[in-house]
Amino acid sequence: MKQSGNVLSFLGIAILTLGISILLILMVGSNVNQAFFSFLSGIFGSFYSVSEVLVKAIPLILTGLGVAVGARSGFINIGAEGQLYMGAIAVTCMAFWLNDLPAILMIPLVILGGFVFGGVWSVIPGFLKARFGISEVITTLMFNYIAISIVGILVRTILKDPSSSLPMSAFLPDSATLPVFMSTTRLHAGLLVALISVVLVWILVWKTPIGYEMRAVGLNPRASKCSGISVYKNIVLSSLISGGLAGIAGVCEVSGLHHKLLEGISPGYGYIAIIVALLGKNHPLGVVISALGIAALQVGSLGMQRMAGVPTSISSIIMGVVVLLILARKSLFRRLLPDE
Amino acid sequence: MDSGFIALVTMYLIASVRMATPLILAGLGEAISEKAGILNIGVEAIMLSGAFFSFIVAFFTGNLFLGLLAGIMGGIFVSMIHGVLSIHCKANQTIAGLALNFMMMGLTSFLFLIVFGQTTTLPSCSVFSEVKIPLLSSIPIIGSALFNQNIFVYIALISIVLTAIFFYKTEWGINLHAVGEHPQAANSAGLNVFAIRYFACFVNGVLGGLGGASITLGQLGFFMENVTSGRGYIALVVVILGRRNPVGIFAAAMVIGFSQALQYNLQTLGFPIPTQVFSMFPYVVAVIVLFLSIGKSIDPSALGIPFERNKR
Repeated sequence: MKQSGNVLSFLGIAILTLGISILLILMVGSNVNQAFFSFLSGIFGSFYSVSEVLVKAIPLILTGLGVAVGARSGFINIGAEGQLYMGAIAVTCMAFWLNDLPAILMIPLVILGGFVFGGVWSVIPGFLKARFGISEVITTLMFNYIAISIVGILVRTILKDPSSSLPMSAFLPDSATLPVFMSTTRLHAGLLVALISVVLVWILVWKTPIGYEMRAVGLNPRASKCSGISVYKNIVLSSLISGGLAGIAGVCEVSGLHHKLLEGISPGYGYIAIIVALLGKNHPLGVVISALGIAALQVGSLGMQRMAGVPTSISSIIMGVVVLLILARKSLFRRLLPDE
Repeated sequence: MDSGFIALVTMYLIASVRMATPLILAGLGEAISEKAGILNIGVEAIMLSGAFFSFIVAFFTGNLFLGLLAGIMGGIFVSMIHGVLSIHCKANQTIAGLALNFMMMGLTSFLFLIVFGQTTTLPSCSVFSEVKIPLLSSIPIIGSALFNQNIFVYIALISIVLTAIFFYKTEWGINLHAVGEHPQAANSAGLNVFAIRYFACFVNGVLGGLGGASITLGQLGFFMENVTSGRGYIALVVVILGRRNPVGIFAAAMVIGFSQALQYNLQTLGFPIPTQVFSMFPYVVAVIVLFLSIGKSIDPSALGIPFERNKR
């Protein structure tokens, strides 16, 4: 009964979401069938569109994984956006600084650099939370804006491409760019980086004592403290990993996709990451699935706009509504769920 | 001081107050909400909703006051969703606020496209004009900045005074503090924690909606996608900088308003400094203030924690 109630409640959420989507499509005056067809063909219609889903999923997997690691120890990371940008800064600076290194050394180094930059950007709020109890929600949020502003300053000053009038850096040296799998698509080796990170995080958080301590702190800090687990150490560590993963997302976006630093490389991936982690229940595998789902939603809604005239902002509405319904699930479907 | 300098200061003060007004309104609302223990990251959503509905109603009725009312309703709508989720459903308040931001960002631009379609020229409405207050507006320097402005500035100024009285001089204010600091104790003392928290959310909606309306009906006279452009997040920073104190919020909003006014001015003058230096400024100051306040507990202790009557 318990299991079926849970399944039914999620089914209810799916039906409600579908109903709201249909309502929105009808409001635009589009044909519902055509809209759904164009949504699906926007995702599965061609080889390129499927690869685009994966391209969008790469930063979502990495940032979502980061948020999930933080959430496991009770560190609510709203700052993945800023940490992503710090990773992007790291890869750009390092690529120009070490430009004569071969790719085999350069790629691991820039990934490490992105991890460190993103990690530092997140470990400061983590430290403030662990040591002084300052809420990480506001600090990580403020760090986002500072990071984005730093990118804006850098691409207008020391990293600016002198041969262009636009605020962006020059193209990275070839040794710092991630290879593209197939020349007709934009799908790059960042996907491998993301999947390797997923496996590593899964091992770290579920198969090692360090991960066990981190999860214990997230579940009950006081009990952990009483049994000799350092709350301070684990929050700092998980915030470091959390930000580091988001930093790697920044590295992948710059060296895999854009090949240069510019403003707006992330259309809010760091914020969507929180939804990814929530839908994925803070589990690495869940994060991959929900990142693919949200990437498909976004790519599909582009197709829906092209062919059925439904504004892409529908994907943002659907994301918000799904999360709100999930948050309200236990109250909405109280009759179906067993008492806790 | 020569008259040129005074004129410059006056000009900057007027611009700063205008920039600060939405921040003051939304910041005061958020402060009241946080005092009661509800951390609402969705200020941006509240303001967007206020901005959108105030514009739509003002555009179609031609009546700015009806627009203002619609803006308030729009704000309350979003804030109460957050309230129900965090009070009744005991959901994670941060994630609820974030989800609302996504939803309202999408919904306002979606509805705007449905109503007006793809247009090259933005549809516009009139804005509230300045109302000069006799005598007070002739005070040198601050007179024209504070007392020759539109209705939103006056609402903001009055709200500061009212919130200060409410926080520090009334029993209601003490109840609000109690609910945010120790809901269990407040409950034992016979206060209705849920009702007080809903009330705080309601006020947050009213003030945040006004803040959003002040952007469309007080400054711009039009609406576009993401018209608030992060002001809701800046309002959160204002609350931290001002330490949830109404006067502090006013000061913090003015500092940020000044840096924004300066930013636009330097942009038009063509200074070689990237404007990001100035847009970063409030956040850096807020981080420094946070560092300086280390050791002093400034957050309400029950901030962000749902209240469950039968739990300790």
